[in-house]
Amino acid sequence: MKQRIGVYICHCGGNISDYVDVEQLGKLMAKENGVLISKNVMFACSDSTQKEIEQDIEENKLDSIVVASCSPKLHTHTFRNVAIRAGLNPYNYTQVNIREQCSWAHSDKPMDATIKAYGLIRAGINRVSYSEVLESLEISAQKVVAIIGAGVAGMRAAVDLARMDNQVYLIEKGNTVGGHVAQAGRLFPTNENGKEVVDRLYQRIRQQSNITLFTNATLEKVSGSIGNFWIEVKLGSEELKLNVGSVLVTTGFDFYDPKEGEFGYRLSDRVITLPDFNKMVENSKGKLIHNGKSVKSVAYIYCVGNRQSKGENRYCSRQCCTAAIHSSLHVHEKFEDMTAYHLFRDIRTYGKQELLYQQSSKNGDIYIRFEEKEPPVVELKNGNPTIKVKDYLTTKRELTLDTDLVVLVTGMVPRTDSNSVSSKLKIPIGIDRFFNEIHPKLKPVETVIKGVYIGGACQGPKNINESVQSALSGAAKINATLKSGNINLEPIIARVNADSCLWCGKCAEVCEYDAISSIANGGKLIAEVNKATCKGCGICAPTCPSNAIELAQFTDNEIESMIDGLMSKAEISPRVESQQNNQKAGVQSLAGYPKIWRTIANALEGNTLTIPQIAEKIDQEASLVTWHLMTMNRYGFVESAGLNDNEDYFMYKLKK
Amino acid sequence: MSIDKTKYDALVVGGGIAGQEAALSLADMDYKVLLVEKDLSIGGKMIHLSKVFPTLDCAACITTPKMSETARHPNINLLLNTNILEIEKDNGIFSIALTIRPKYVKEDLCTGCQLCEWVCPVIVDDGFNNNMVGRKAISIAFNLANPKVAAIDMNHCIKCKKCEIACVPKAIDYSMQPQNISIETKTVIISTGFNLFKPENKPQYGYGKYPNVIDAMQMDRLIAPTRPYNSVVRPGDGKIPDKIAYVLCTGSRDTSIENAIGCSVDCANNPICSQICCMYSIKQAQLLMGALPLADITIYYMDIRAFGKGYEEFYQQAKGMGVSFIKGKIAKITQKDHNSGDLILRYEDVTTGTLKEAKHDLVVLSVGVLPNNEIAKVFTNQKLELDDQRFIKQVDELLSPSLTSIEGVFVAGTAAGPKDIPDSILSAGSAASEAASYINNI
Amino acid sequence: MSTETFSPKILVFSTDKISDPGIDQAGLRKLHYSPSVYVISLPCSSGIKPRWIMRAFKQGFDGVFIAADGHECSYSPKCAEHTNTIIVESQKMMKENNINPKRIRMAALCSVCAEPFVSHMGNFSKILSELGSLETEVYKAQ
Repeated sequence: MKQRIGVYICHCGGNISDYVDVEQLGKLMAKENGVLISKNVMFACSDSTQKEIEQDIEENKLDSIVVASCSPKLHTHTFRNVAIRAGLNPYNYTQVNIREQCSWAHSDKPMDATIKAYGLIRAGINRVSYSEVLESLEISAQKVVAIIGAGVAGMRAAVDLARMDNQVYLIEKGNTVGGHVAQAGRLFPTNENGKEVVDRLYQRIRQQSNITLFTNATLEKVSGSIGNFWIEVKLGSEELKLNVGSVLVTTGFDFYDPKEGEFGYRLSDRVITLPDFNKMVENSKGKLIHNGKSVKSVAYIYCVGNRQSKGENRYCSRQCCTAAIHSSLHVHEKFEDMTAYHLFRDIRTYGKQELLYQQSSKNGDIYIRFEEKEPPVVELKNGNPTIKVKDYLTTKRELTLDTDLVVLVTGMVPRTDSNSVSSKLKIPIGIDRFFNEIHPKLKPVETVIKGVYIGGACQGPKNINESVQSALSGAAKINATLKSGNINLEPIIARVNADSCLWCGKCAEVCEYDAISSIANGGKLIAEVNKATCKGCGICAPTCPSNAIELAQFTDNEIESMIDGLMSKAEISPRVESQQNNQKAGVQSLAGYPKIWRTIANALEGNTLTIPQIAEKIDQEASLVTWHLMTMNRYGFVESAGLNDNEDYFMYKLKK
Repeated sequence: MSIDKTKYDALVVGGGIAGQEAALSLADMDYKVLLVEKDLSIGGKMIHLSKVFPTLDCAACITTPKMSETARHPNINLLLNTNILEIEKDNGIFSIALTIRPKYVKEDLCTGCQLCEWVCPVIVDDGFNNNMVGRKAISIAFNLANPKVAAIDMNHCIKCKKCEIACVPKAIDYSMQPQNISIETKTVIISTGFNLFKPENKPQYGYGKYPNVIDAMQMDRLIAPTRPYNSVVRPGDGKIPDKIAYVLCTGSRDTSIENAIGCSVDCANNPICSQICCMYSIKQAQLLMGALPLADITIYYMDIRAFGKGYEEFYQQAKGMGVSFIKGKIAKITQKDHNSGDLILRYEDVTTGTLKEAKHDLVVLSVGVLPNNEIAKVFTNQKLELDDQRFIKQVDELLSPSLTSIEGVFVAGTAAGPKDIPDSILSAGSAASEAASYINNI
Repeated sequence: MSTETFSPKILVFSTDKISDPGIDQAGLRKLHYSPSVYVISLPCSSGIKPRWIMRAFKQGFDGVFIAADGHECSYSPKCAEHTNTIIVESQKMMKENNINPKRIRMAALCSVCAEPFVSHMGNFSKILSELGSLETEVYKAQ
């Protein structure tokens, strides 16, 4: 049991303290058994508070700390590092979530939120009392990376990883490299041809002797863990087993394949998808010819298979607007007298891509806006398409378009084989069915599986340069992980009590990672946990008939004492407003401050007034009064006195 | 840091989210990094924000851990309030001349206690809160600043010495002088970010003239937990707004701004899309629906560009919550009645093709992204090229997005063009990868 | 503190990577639910021990809710099955202790399942209110 616990309860600048009476909780926690220090802090995560906690740990020889602030997803790492810097084992720290799961969730009931926060913090104190010193495990790591998928993203990451001295296995399922880009025609923004881009990249790969490219190679099985994965790959009849330190998944996307009859698709050869149209444009010379007929007019229908508010693809594929407009510009350049209609919902040529849209409008392309509830209808007469559409740009006028071709601007969808890749590598799939990163800003290329990274469009729609950026970002993270040849792993893993274990094998049966096996110990067989492969899920623990296997940090003592803490009875008194700011104000006078401050103070003497009332009284602009009054409020001279009768203005009074 | 403070593997210019990410990525690969920031704290624009789309995480919660990791990393040295004077390249090595501007407070002595701020009688505009409120002439840049050290605004200081008397550790020093230093580095990463369009340059929108016309950065401050006012109220008269308008594409997709007053070449015309304004406006609208449940919020737009992961869903969610979206271009904003402070928006409703007027009590201008290319001027014997929009030119945009016209100089984040936060972070990671590959093969 | 209307105390076991972020989302979006709902987060719902559940009832919780990952569990494709085994095991122990097996419930919650979580809490509270507080329960196992 810990005897020198430090408890830090965060205001979160009002996010917590507006609802939870953190000051009172701070005082109550100070009285708890084992608690040496209990403090309220404005922002626990701020640098100064981190330093303050470090100092407390060092000066008061704290044996454990509890931080009650936001969700552990945000700052566990931050405070573990605080502990480490102050020489405290990082596992002697417990995070308590009193924001997402308390002050915000119960912002309607501040008193109840305070009572709940009391229980949560007590649970945290109880848990930390039982916390153990855990040492992180250092394992050696192969400076070898497997990249799954040799599209542009995978190829480009291979080049940098190789240049940073990693051995790279580039594993491609198809028989060629370059993925969709190799098939694409002219590309935005450089106007290079897709094939040229891929060739250029391929030359760079060939220059690196430490890249091995496997084509026609399928991923069969993945085992092991960060530092030492085993990747089994099938190459024709041959099986390869590669030992790699990390895996970068760049498996890319599929284009949406319209259903038969969707805007006339497959019912008429004159309804085609944008990727097919681009190939046709690339292969036509002088005249645009489709199935022997000259094409003079094209209607592009946007958002096909995307932005379906009720369908399964609710997302936007971000690159298709630009792709369609870029094709249309190319068509105008390459062939004379072309007419183009763009049937769109919103034109999403974000950033510099907007210039293409402007150019297209200058070229005379006609833009017709439809809404999802009234999509264009493609009617077929003898295989000739006619489009009926209501144009939301011109008072929903109904238009009828007869064009030589209808091009369906199809979005991106997850690859059909992404489920198989995901299950082999255990990468979670998001709501949009693309691979999911841990967090779009904090960990944008990391997956929940340590050592497995995602890059490019397998994570969600991206254009080429965005795919390359994300894959290279993954390369940077991988290189940082593998660079030293050693990796530190979290020590939250399963462990066996040798005395009570009778080896029945139930724990090994449920372990998905083959991390448990039996060994002889003192004349009997007992279970043994492989520390590098154990993922710390704890599934083994409840299966043991003799309660002999447990997960570090989730022991019976820790969890059961938490439950006790949650239910501990609180003596919470109704909230008293903090006096702190008043004291600050008390030591100041208005001498030396701007004259208008004194005028405002005089107007408020014995009154509570709204800003327009003050402005009228002192004959000044209301905006000037707002600026000064808010500054006076900030420095503790005035304070809000609630809403006026109409509830449209706050009233203010002098702070005594 | 125990290393030679004049020799580095990489100089990162700019300590916003991209600069921090690039510096951390390189430092994690064991490269020695100098991060130079012109402001008093790292954090860039992101630390000003309330919450971020589409997850609605609080911006500070995402940024502050990164800021503190950056400030503490053993391989990163941080220089704040510092300008780069010259960058010269010789034999593959960059020599950099820097000047550290004085804070008039000794950093090593200041504890960030703010006693000086409480006694200072001089009130100046609070830039962190976009001048919607005042602060003292001596203060900490903002609540979550890193490092948390006070600085004096010498342009306004009256040298009354109240702070000097109040400061317990005797950290105040009025006589501090700029300090010039030089360093050497193998690579330079430019992560200088962007400038926001100044809405005064669109005079027909009345910004600066009507107090209840604000820009979106001001609104982000109003709804942030570290906000300048006690609630979301109008800067004009403290009224709680109940009919708020957003004017998208203010200073973006606009070629009609030429010859605007006081406008340099970089803000004359901005034909491109700023990539973030649709989404930050939708984010603010969602947050306002939470803060002011009775308020009507209308977003006037040209196209809604909700293109990133989870963005379209976020947009649909806002519609579902009751935010109104009107496809229309605002022609003019006027304040008819000085007393009410309410505003009349004249616009063309594109769907019906008619000119309409609407009354709102608060108007938010969703200002666009402009290049910040000052850094190009400090290269003495090399030319850092700019693109047609005067962002840092990417010479191989498809395959090596961070390469610039100078070998060994890489660009990260919005210095190369508009980007949202996730894309800026990815771009910074990518720049780190390219820079590390470059250093490793010199 | 005595409350006039009975507000059942619920212990939720969530998972670190999926359902707990979903519950966080509910808070983030200020979707309110009963403040007598308390959450303990674990790596995986298949790691919950029946004895912990029994401890919760002993300490005065009126119900236990398991916010599982279902198919999205990143540890085991059989997670739902394992968690179900734990519930069956617990219900056996509950019956032995005269606790109504309806006092334990499980549902899969994703990392953005804010609304479903709130509605689960509402429904479960209703069921538990009908059962009344555990202290007064006179459930007889057959």
